[in-house]
Amino acid sequence: MSERQLPEGFQDLEPYLEWSLATDRERSIKRQTSPMTKITAFYHAIVPRMDEILAHLEQYPLEQVPADAQSLFYLTLSLAKIAPAVEMYGEPVPEGLDALRLENIDIYPTRG
Amino acid sequence: MALGKNKWHDRYPELGTGPIPVEPYVSPEYFEQERARVFRKTWLNIGRVEQIPQPGDYFVKDLTICNTSILVVRGKDGEVHAFHNMCSHRGNQLVWDTKGRCQTFSCKFHGWTYALDGSLRYITDEHNFFGLKKETLGMTPVAVGTWEGFIFINVDPDPQQTLPEYLGEGLRTSIKGYPFEDLSTNCFSWHTDVQANWKVAKDAFQEVYHISTLHRRIIGDVYASKANPYANALNFTLYPPHGRVSLSANPDRKLTGVESIVQGFGSTVLQQNNSASEKLPAGVNPTGYPHWSFDGLALFPNCLIYVSKGTYLTHIFWPITENLTRWEIRTYSPQAETLSGRFSQEYGKVSFRDTLLEDASTLERTQTMLRSGAKKEIVLQDEELLIRQHHKVTESFLNASKGSQPNV
Repeated sequence: MSERQLPEGFQDLEPYLEWSLATDRERSIKRQTSPMTKITAFYHAIVPRMDEILAHLEQYPLEQVPADAQSLFYLTLSLAKIAPAVEMYGEPVPEGLDALRLENIDIYPTRG
Repeated sequence: MALGKNKWHDRYPELGTGPIPVEPYVSPEYFEQERARVFRKTWLNIGRVEQIPQPGDYFVKDLTICNTSILVVRGKDGEVHAFHNMCSHRGNQLVWDTKGRCQTFSCKFHGWTYALDGSLRYITDEHNFFGLKKETLGMTPVAVGTWEGFIFINVDPDPQQTLPEYLGEGLRTSIKGYPFEDLSTNCFSWHTDVQANWKVAKDAFQEVYHISTLHRRIIGDVYASKANPYANALNFTLYPPHGRVSLSANPDRKLTGVESIVQGFGSTVLQQNNSASEKLPAGVNPTGYPHWSFDGLALFPNCLIYVSKGTYLTHIFWPITENLTRWEIRTYSPQAETLSGRFSQEYGKVSFRDTLLEDASTLERTQTMLRSGAKKEIVLQDEELLIRQHHKVTESFLNASKGSQPNV
């Protein structure tokens, strides 16, 4: 990997780039199909860095996020996705409906 | 908080306290009566005005339960209009996508074209028809109205009540001033089809008796507290055919690690930001309880609206068959202005969604067993008042003689 994928100072999170996923569906699948050991490892790697990560992300207007910061942002969305698994369930998903059965619907107008 | 025994049913003795029959959850005949006497006769919430902000914006709502598809459009006059989504030629569905913006609606079958006000503007090869009167061949309008930005339709060609009459002054006043418009800029929405009667699904979201058991791991301590271990309601008020509930929060709840990170970035669905400075209108949190969490509005027949500080959400349950329901969940909040805000909203969204998955775990299992015929009745406790009210109201709609108002 010659190109830097995460912003300067966050290289220690590069082993977790498999969690940098753009869509909710991809993140749901990742959560469902990962063993707790992998979920927990990602959680413990990123949580202590969150203050710095959010401070870094705060500097960009939503329309002008560079690619490396976007990858970092996707990591935070995966943290949001797996936090309940670690903090509340102690297993990847709650006993319940398959998450993929809840389909995301965008009801508001799409403006180009 | 005055925790009591049977106090809500004491307040509404007309609802009775007996068991509830299973038949309404499983019977195809009962389902057909609900279709004819409830869904084809009442005002149904099918969306928000924010879905169609500009003239020409439209969305399509397939209403299996009313045997139709509805086209909702903002006209050149700036008003919201609704039509049966049907071409007047041979009945083809006029619009096939779910949303969009256009100047006119053109039928994909033979090219008949309609204006945003529903009038027929163009007939392909018109001179080969036989004395058509174009002005009588517009789209068939559907009664439509808005309340607090929610769009309601009524497929009854001659609705017995206006939308404001149907909602009732008491209910409308009770929520007046809640900032629905400000909070509706951002919407996360999901749907799924569950193999359960629509009332099994609705029932699951109009009582909190289940929270301390089913949701013990994720939100067991959000509402339930030492003082109120079963998260008993602060208040129920009925505005027949609708009802309201107000719920407390646990003041001693400890935030989890990620929750404490997201605090300070605005309200999320589950963990409302208690420091939010906006003042709530007098009718919200009607008991003025300091550790309030949210109020729920149960709009008959199939819509629940839960309002909190800084965010609100809706559940709408669309019956497909007596054993199948399209369940729609929408959460509304202001647009996040930073990536941190988006992260915070994402956390709220995920944890809310996890509770929905838990909720949904019971729906299909319940339906399977209700269908077994093993039991003819189910029983309800005091905190399940809104479920009981729903059955009572439905009964009055089904028993109402044609042309008269149901006595609710």
